[in-house]
Amino acid sequence: MAEQVLEGSQPVDLTKHPSGIVPTLQNIVSTVNLDCKLDLKAIALQARNAEYNPKRFAAVIMRIREPKTTALIFASGKMVCTGAKSEQQSKLAARKYARIIQKLGFPAHFKDFKIQNIVGSCDVKFPIRLEGLSYSHGAFSSYEPELFPGLIYRMKQPKIVLLIFVSGKIVLTGAKVRDETYTAFENIYPVLTEFRKIQQ
Amino acid sequence: MATFELYRRSTIGMCLTETLDEMVSNGTLSPELAIQVLVQFDKSMTEALETQVKSKVTIKGHLHTYRFCDNVWTFILQGASFKNEECQENVGKVKIVACDSKLLSQ
Repeated sequence: MAEQVLEGSQPVDLTKHPSGIVPTLQNIVSTVNLDCKLDLKAIALQARNAEYNPKRFAAVIMRIREPKTTALIFASGKMVCTGAKSEQQSKLAARKYARIIQKLGFPAHFKDFKIQNIVGSCDVKFPIRLEGLSYSHGAFSSYEPELFPGLIYRMKQPKIVLLIFVSGKIVLTGAKVRDETYTAFENIYPVLTEFRKIQQ
Repeated sequence: MATFELYRRSTIGMCLTETLDEMVSNGTLSPELAIQVLVQFDKSMTEALETQVKSKVTIKGHLHTYRFCDNVWTFILQGASFKNEECQENVGKVKIVACDSKLLSQ
């Protein structure tokens, strides 16, 4: 939590963030291999805050409060950890889940931890003409307001998907490292200013 | 019809079990009949709660722990308040065990 950039509390590094805006990380998805077979029913019965309904989903769903995250734990020993707000928090949470599994008597390891996705968001604080943007960036854009109110922008370099809303709110997803999120935002920012909606 | 044995641990269920135990041990009741009475108790409790209880209670508190396994939800609440139309009762710690009655008819 300590390293999170709080708006206004710290000057933004303009060489890295020329727009002056730093996207806030909202969700980190990571995976790790505990490298041992797990008895999911035993885990569900012994651990706290666990759900196991094999008819619906073949994993135990477990939550911890700090860092506030959810884990999907599979019988193969593979685990998915979601909901953390930073890479470190995601890793810390995954370690805590691994520790819980160990305490239940399984020889759990912590193998191949990997961040799989990073979701960030920010607000450019001006409205955007999505139609114009979609028209001039046709190769990357998909804007179908009858299906979804945001413009879906599939950036090629870095390979990031952006959801751009009329309100100026932006969601960036698909990053494996946070710099891809930052680069994608800095790439799109001049385009957003170009298609700024002038209010009457 | 299958039944839940959930209500045997209630005050009324414990009293019934105690009485039946006593009757079995002094020979006024056969163990088979005692079991039959308990099964009938399970059925009657389920039916009575379904058809005769109209009042509603809301329970609010800090969810300390939850679990869902074998189609049974378990909740441990801290600082819970039980509210119905007439009164409110506060409890420091409470454990709720809930089963899905729809599973009985399957």
